[in-house]
Amino acid sequence: MVSYDPRRLAGTLIEETSLLARGAESELRLGLFFGRKAVFKLRLPKPYMDPALDSKLRRVRTIREAKVIAAALEGGVPAPRLYMILPSAGLIVMEYVEGPQLKEALWEGSLDPRRAGYEAGVILGRLHSLGIVHGDPTTSNYIVSGRGLILIDYGLSEFSASIEDRAVDVHLFKRAVESTHAGIVGELYGGFLDGYRESMGDPAGEILERVEEIELRGRYVEERRKSVWRM
Amino acid sequence: MATAATPSSSDERSRVIALGIESTAHTFGVAVVSDKHPYILSDARGHYRPSKGGILPREVAQYFSQVAGSVVREALSKAGVSMDDVDLIAVALGPGMGPALRIGATVARALSSKYSKPLYSVNHGVAHIEIARFLTGLRDPLVIYVSGGTTTIASYLEGRYRVFGETLDIALGNLQDTFAREIGIAPPYIVGGRHVIDICAEGGKFIEELPYVVKGQDVSYSGLLTAAVRLVKKGWRKADVCYTFREIAYSSVVEVAERGLAHTGKKEVVLTGGVAASKLLNEKVEAMAKSHNARFKPIPPKYAGDNGVMIALTGILAFKSGVPPIPPEEAIIKQRWRLDRVDIPWYPMILGD
Repeated sequence: MVSYDPRRLAGTLIEETSLLARGAESELRLGLFFGRKAVFKLRLPKPYMDPALDSKLRRVRTIREAKVIAAALEGGVPAPRLYMILPSAGLIVMEYVEGPQLKEALWEGSLDPRRAGYEAGVILGRLHSLGIVHGDPTTSNYIVSGRGLILIDYGLSEFSASIEDRAVDVHLFKRAVESTHAGIVGELYGGFLDGYRESMGDPAGEILERVEEIELRGRYVEERRKSVWRM
Repeated sequence: MATAATPSSSDERSRVIALGIESTAHTFGVAVVSDKHPYILSDARGHYRPSKGGILPREVAQYFSQVAGSVVREALSKAGVSMDDVDLIAVALGPGMGPALRIGATVARALSSKYSKPLYSVNHGVAHIEIARFLTGLRDPLVIYVSGGTTTIASYLEGRYRVFGETLDIALGNLQDTFAREIGIAPPYIVGGRHVIDICAEGGKFIEELPYVVKGQDVSYSGLLTAAVRLVKKGWRKADVCYTFREIAYSSVVEVAERGLAHTGKKEVVLTGGVAASKLLNEKVEAMAKSHNARFKPIPPKYAGDNGVMIALTGILAFKSGVPPIPPEEAIIKQRWRLDRVDIPWYPMILGD
């Protein structure tokens, strides 16, 4: 039997790739996979962790992210197609989605904000109705591709159907709109809400109420925690 | 206003001297700090140490009221100054335990009234950050603030220290102490300068059974505590449980800091608060910072924990940046005073500028 070493295989796979971006825990690399343009997302070893803990976390998180993407695709959410995963090497190979970020397209004025918002809302609502929350649904993570908007980066995603988690997702989109697209908040977020309500159905009411509650808690990051001091 | 000491030179005249009072938790600390070299003129402390169990606020307050007078006298005499030489009094009014805070506030109000010295209200968390910036010289860091009651990742943005992430339940120091107590290896919590968990973890190896919980920007420790106590009670090897418990507790807070570093783009990292005395935690933070090309400098363990120095030096920064003093009758304690509620007009100034 031929033994295979996932880390060596991952090393071979990314040999001819180039660095796109480096985040807190992973590298995004661009390369070819069986002749197709692909993103190689590599979770890097953390030098401050016990190696056993580090490899466990990278394996578990790689599997979770791939499961989320697979479930999203299966449920009709436009997400990057999954090509391959090597959990113990922390590697996911997926489709490279061609196109500008929604953020950039809106800045250029090449999209109708209400229609783009509507489409983004439909996509997030569909993801939520599958029992998945995205974790970072900003206008940087929607790509304007030839086949419509595609929601990318499931690195912080989780399987959750809680009202609070879903409301936080909606809130994150809204906050991104307010901070990045101040001139078109009404159309963009208005369209988003229409699309979200339509694809989410009944639970949308309760979720959107919770979004308001989150805002009433004051500045979100400041107020969401209960107390600083516990003895 | 104050009856100022007779200045002996122009340098003396421009020197600012602060008396700082800390009483938020188990330390009653009083220090005299100057804005000129050698800065720290004295650092007197009384530590409350329970003989068994955890800290009871009422007992702490009782202990503080017994030692307050002598700690103040010690701080003044070691600094070689009298109350006449002091330009301002700074006191930590929160966050912390009410009964303990009240002793510090009472002493500060009394001294301020009796000697007609301006009184400055200092947030304890902000003071932990300011002493770290002063001791390391790192002016614009990402801050990892870990102590008995706090686990917070913060950094300065637009006028305030903003909280990037924190614990969703118990704090790191409290987690360690509670675990040690529950498995019967404490108190005392510190033996020969080391936490008992560090001693327990010697020779331990990583086991798979304990949960690691990082949610976005936050950590959660309650599940780890419950699971670790259960394993020990079920007879698992203590060294392995202690080692893994500590590895998970430290790694998760460093990972949240790593996300904060990537998010904020800061190029410096400091570690402050009581748990910052841990050598292993310093090593982990240093390795993390290095892998992101950020600078890290440790602070001496002596100044990681609560002390009056940090309160005095923060008072000086407030004084120098024109923050108005408060009337003694308004020196009301704030048990849940968040550090992101405090304006920081002196940034990026540090003591000595």
